[in-house]
Amino acid sequence: MNTGFNGEHLLPGQLGQLFIILSFTGALLAAICYYFATTEKNQLNNSWQRMGRIAFYINTASVVGIGVCLFYIIYNHLFEYHYAWEHSSKSLPVYYIISSYWEGQEGSFWLWCFWQAVLGNILIWKAKSWERPVMTVVSLSQVLLASMLLGVQIFGARIGSSPFILLREALDLKVSAPIFATRPDLYKNYLTYITDGNGLNPLLQNYWMVIHPPTLFLGFASMVVPFAYAIAGLWQKRYKEWVKPAISYALFAVMVLGTGVIMGSFWAYVSLNFGGFWAWDPVENAALIPWLTLIGGVHVMIVYKNTGHSFFTAMFLVLISFILVLYASFLTRSGVLGNTSVHSFTDEGMFWHLVVDVVLFLAIALVLVIVRWKELPISKKEEDTYSREFWMFVGAVFLALSCLQLVIVTSIPVWNSMFKTNIASPTNAVTLYNVFQAGFAVVVTLLVGTTQFLKYKKTDSTKVWIKAAVYFVLALAITALVVYVSGIYHIRVVFSLVMLGAVFAVLSNIRVLVDAFKGKIKLAGSAVAHIGFGLIMVGAVIAAGTSKVVSINNTGEDYGAAFDQRNDPKENILLYKNRPIKMGDYVVTYVGDSISMPNHYFKVDYKLMSADGKVKEEFMLKPNSQANSKMGLVSSPDTKHYLFHDLYTHVTMAPIRMDDEPQQAGAAHSEADDDKNYDAPVPHEVAIGDTIRFREGFMILTGLDKNAKVENIKLSGNDIAVGAQLKIFSNGRSYDAEPIFMIKDGRGFDFARKVDDAGLKLRFSRVLPDKGKVEITVYQQPESKKTFIVMKAIEFPYINFFWSGTIIMVIGFLLSIFRRNKELKTT
Amino acid sequence: MKKSSIIGLVAIAIAIAVIIATYSKSSSYSSFAEAKNVKSDIQIIGHLDKQKQMYYDARKDANYFSFYVRDTDKTVCKVILTAPKPQDFERSEQIVLTGHMEGNDFHATKILMKCPSKYKQDQVETTVSAKTSKI
Repeated sequence: MNTGFNGEHLLPGQLGQLFIILSFTGALLAAICYYFATTEKNQLNNSWQRMGRIAFYINTASVVGIGVCLFYIIYNHLFEYHYAWEHSSKSLPVYYIISSYWEGQEGSFWLWCFWQAVLGNILIWKAKSWERPVMTVVSLSQVLLASMLLGVQIFGARIGSSPFILLREALDLKVSAPIFATRPDLYKNYLTYITDGNGLNPLLQNYWMVIHPPTLFLGFASMVVPFAYAIAGLWQKRYKEWVKPAISYALFAVMVLGTGVIMGSFWAYVSLNFGGFWAWDPVENAALIPWLTLIGGVHVMIVYKNTGHSFFTAMFLVLISFILVLYASFLTRSGVLGNTSVHSFTDEGMFWHLVVDVVLFLAIALVLVIVRWKELPISKKEEDTYSREFWMFVGAVFLALSCLQLVIVTSIPVWNSMFKTNIASPTNAVTLYNVFQAGFAVVVTLLVGTTQFLKYKKTDSTKVWIKAAVYFVLALAITALVVYVSGIYHIRVVFSLVMLGAVFAVLSNIRVLVDAFKGKIKLAGSAVAHIGFGLIMVGAVIAAGTSKVVSINNTGEDYGAAFDQRNDPKENILLYKNRPIKMGDYVVTYVGDSISMPNHYFKVDYKLMSADGKVKEEFMLKPNSQANSKMGLVSSPDTKHYLFHDLYTHVTMAPIRMDDEPQQAGAAHSEADDDKNYDAPVPHEVAIGDTIRFREGFMILTGLDKNAKVENIKLSGNDIAVGAQLKIFSNGRSYDAEPIFMIKDGRGFDFARKVDDAGLKLRFSRVLPDKGKVEITVYQQPESKKTFIVMKAIEFPYINFFWSGTIIMVIGFLLSIFRRNKELKTT
Repeated sequence: MKKSSIIGLVAIAIAIAVIIATYSKSSSYSSFAEAKNVKSDIQIIGHLDKQKQMYYDARKDANYFSFYVRDTDKTVCKVILTAPKPQDFERSEQIVLTGHMEGNDFHATKILMKCPSKYKQDQVETTVSAKTSKI
């Protein structure tokens, strides 16, 4: 079947496809072997286990093999492969080849597969008596993931989507280029016509996009481990034991997933232009949903380990977290989101495949829970109201509820397609999410604060309550101050309550941390993580709640009363090149462009003015746009970071060319055409030292250069060339220009000079020897010909709390993981 | 009754409240005809009417962009967005508008466009808001 096409490199693809088949069969074999190893009556017989291991090693090696083949294809620009053609181009730097891996669905499935293989190997190494059942589940999940990459036809349906499909198989080239249909000789050499790939979406060409997806997918992949332990616990009736080893893995999963989510948020903040760090987009929600449930899960697992309470909640949250990971992957990859998401995900024929993935694992979990229901160690004893475990349980329930709200709203398109309804997603989704989630956050943060004062089993010392009350009053005082200073009281009360909860959580955990330094060092992890979480809330509420559009602009034309009535602030400001404009406390000037393809940077000069009109600070921001003909115009903001606030700027509109449009034929058009770009010329008769005024400044004739030279024109005999040396001052800048007047062979010529930045063209049009003057003709560009940009600027106060809170939280998770691992070894 | 059961019941109650609140706030996609009778913001799916003129002149007002949209009932209505004209707007195939009627014009606060990408079968979507989201 491969005969007849010249220049194709089929080996890497065939090798890759072989690895795909091998990884699928390897995973399947591993799952089967581990299943029999688990059900083996004689547990000393480890022949099944050995085979399972070998099969999993084969799977791991094949997954690595797939990655190597794909890298080879992209690195060598083998555009006969659809994946390379669609997601990369020759000009792509090597480090972004890595990003092009995850631009496509296949690449991101591979990434997930890879991490799961790595985790599987760690489990083989570490899990000991848990290896057999746990690896059965992990291998099964690996089977499902590997099947997503298969891309083979079974009973007329394509199963999975392979990254090694050829371009001519993926697209009908005869349709897109009809010439191939009529000229088989050309079709044979089709590759010579495909000189470059589509390239990587410009938004993904960002260093955060190199590390954000791997982190996120490691987070997703690690969710399978606690799930596998829970299933193994049910299956092997080791109800009590599974929790301990699973805690460390669950902590690892929430740490990595949380980091991945915030990295994505930071990427959105620095390189997308929706003006914020969180937009409740379905894709963001999809990653947050399992994080929330597993955070709840981690807490009740600890409760169960310490007190024996909350078994069912712990098991339920751990199981549901992984199901939700699969559901999230269904939401974002099946194309079901349709009208609600700005992310372009389309159905690549995997809708039912993804559904099967969710349903299969859901069924396994459900069946096991139902079968084992009577035996589950659900405590009949009641928790004490003044115990830590009770309120941790309540907190977990509220985390699950906040997750439920996200699931319900994000899934509206799913309900629509299930029940054939036509419900629109909420018109003001951001507000809806914010208010609801803030409500849950109030409860959760207050509980994070309160439980630090409680003990497991029973707390009955009134002293503790007095302490808690003291901290609460302190938190109230600080919150009142913060709310007043930051202006949060302007927005809904619930956000002030979140602030109170967050401050209380931070304070009470600082107290725990101080205790930790005094010797109870094992408490440090959770305290640090909680402080981080509190700071994230503080930062999110202030930054999102009090962000302020600086570029308010009500100068526009009058479009009638109805239009003005709305009183909406108009948030975009028009900047003509080199004309300073006052914007808030700043004076901003669009001073120029710098182009490094494919980026077009707009240089915007900011001057911070003090009350007495002095420049306090000056800096330059360079928001950019990529006019990419394949992806459309893509703008990225630029942000000035201060310790306590950020100034964010992005260009919302600019007349720039697409990258593949030809250069304007500047050289070819005649003088007469060029003059149309200017207002009617104004001649001025001036002597040396005289000043010429024009609309945006003035110029001085500083001298006449008798020996002026014009390129390529030789002067001889009586010919003369005189240059008029002009110094131009416009909008606080100065320029030099020297238009030339020439007499050659008895005829007069003049050579105009342009000062584009000042919008001027200058001619030395005549010499007036009798008056001792010269005539300078000034052409000024009208407003309509001047270059401009439209931009928006937003100030985000205290956003650094958000980012630093994340880092602190991750450190806390790390400390907790070390602690739990230590406990595992000692017991 | 056990306290955890009480919490469970409270949780269920909140869950039901969440569902009701969500669905009371959501509506189905509407049309311009319906929009005339509604004061609050609604969502309309439609297509850009390419026969009629789009108007945007940044020099006159950087925050005024008007165009015509044909909704699913084939009604054509003038739409005004208080924001710059999104790039590639002409190429959009489907538009989801959020906003309300003022007289005979529809004032959009947010538009979501679907543009066919030049080379891909995939659709590229963008969203433009007149107002920066506030919580």
